[in-house]
Amino acid sequence: MDTHENKLISEIESLQKQFLSTTDKLVKDVKRQDKIMARSDKRQQREYDELMALKIEIEETQREVVFTMGAIGESRSKETGNHVKRVAEYSKIMALHYGLSEKEAEMLKQASPMHDIGKVAIPDAVLNKPGRFNDEERKIMDTHAQIGYDMLKMSNRTLLKTAATVAYEHHEKWNGTGYPNKLKGEEIHIYGRITALADVFDALGSDRVYKKAWNDEKIFKLFKEERGEHFDPKLIDIFFDNLDDFLEIRDSFKDTVS
Amino acid sequence: MENLKIEATKYTPEIILDTNGNLSLVGKSYPENTFEFYAPVMAWIENYFETNPAEKTLVNMEIIYFNSSSSKLFFDFFDLFEENSKDNSIEINWIYDEENESAEEAGEDFIEDFEDLKIKLVTK
Repeated sequence: MDTHENKLISEIESLQKQFLSTTDKLVKDVKRQDKIMARSDKRQQREYDELMALKIEIEETQREVVFTMGAIGESRSKETGNHVKRVAEYSKIMALHYGLSEKEAEMLKQASPMHDIGKVAIPDAVLNKPGRFNDEERKIMDTHAQIGYDMLKMSNRTLLKTAATVAYEHHEKWNGTGYPNKLKGEEIHIYGRITALADVFDALGSDRVYKKAWNDEKIFKLFKEERGEHFDPKLIDIFFDNLDDFLEIRDSFKDTVS
Repeated sequence: MENLKIEATKYTPEIILDTNGNLSLVGKSYPENTFEFYAPVMAWIENYFETNPAEKTLVNMEIIYFNSSSSKLFFDFFDLFEENSKDNSIEINWIYDEENESAEEAGEDFIEDFEDLKIKLVTK
């Protein structure tokens, strides 16, 4: 009887041992899995943070490059850096009122400073000539739209594609008498129509080498006359309906008197 | 027994297992099916220790990026080395770039888990 009992006990003890060693291994495995999971979670978090930081870095770099390119274009023609800032802001609110999405309006805002980038290729003698251009000089000056487009059109980036369109079409006129392609009405991309109005509004209100700044009355009169001629009538309406917004931008990005 | 050499791909490391005892894994490790990919590697190592291990086995692992199933697999990998560490001289170098925090942490985990193995952290 005793031996029988002993045998059972030893069997149970052996089982117990096996069980312990198996559970030990299981516990070890589960701990290991937990560790791997925790490390993996931490790594994913780190990777996502890095990814987001990179995304912001790319976007900001793009913004800065585009803005700087615009400023280069403007500096060549001795205009102030604030001209591009104002045109950018005008373009955005006009785009929003026209019904473009916030994303597209922001894109246009960032791209519009490059509308004159083609001017880097215009000789100083023409670019900075006080007084009116003769026919030959006018022809040279007008090439800046095509040149700007050619500089930007190769890019696959949406922002630079937008900028290419703006550079190409910001001198087209609603009635088809603009350049370089004499596009008419809605043949002109909305980006071109918007930047045209924003650019002219700002240019007329600023001193330039060849002219003094116009007063508002004179500018508004011209805009009313050019409604449906130079400018998209819908955009002129938006301009006058939201005049305060435009004047506020002009005030907050004033050119400092040097 | 023959050497095993697997070329690196975009998702998998270069693996060279030499019967002279030099084993190396270099590159990234995030295959679609990690266990399937490493099956021949595990089989080779098992076979190596069973049949004709070199006097000294030196493992160089330089994995710059790895998914979680790879890190599970590396644990299995080290289990295999640990099982054979009584009868064999095995040294493992876990090599990583100083800035690669994930690789460093993984190396520390391995050292913690495998007290009987000689695992050295080597920064580049």
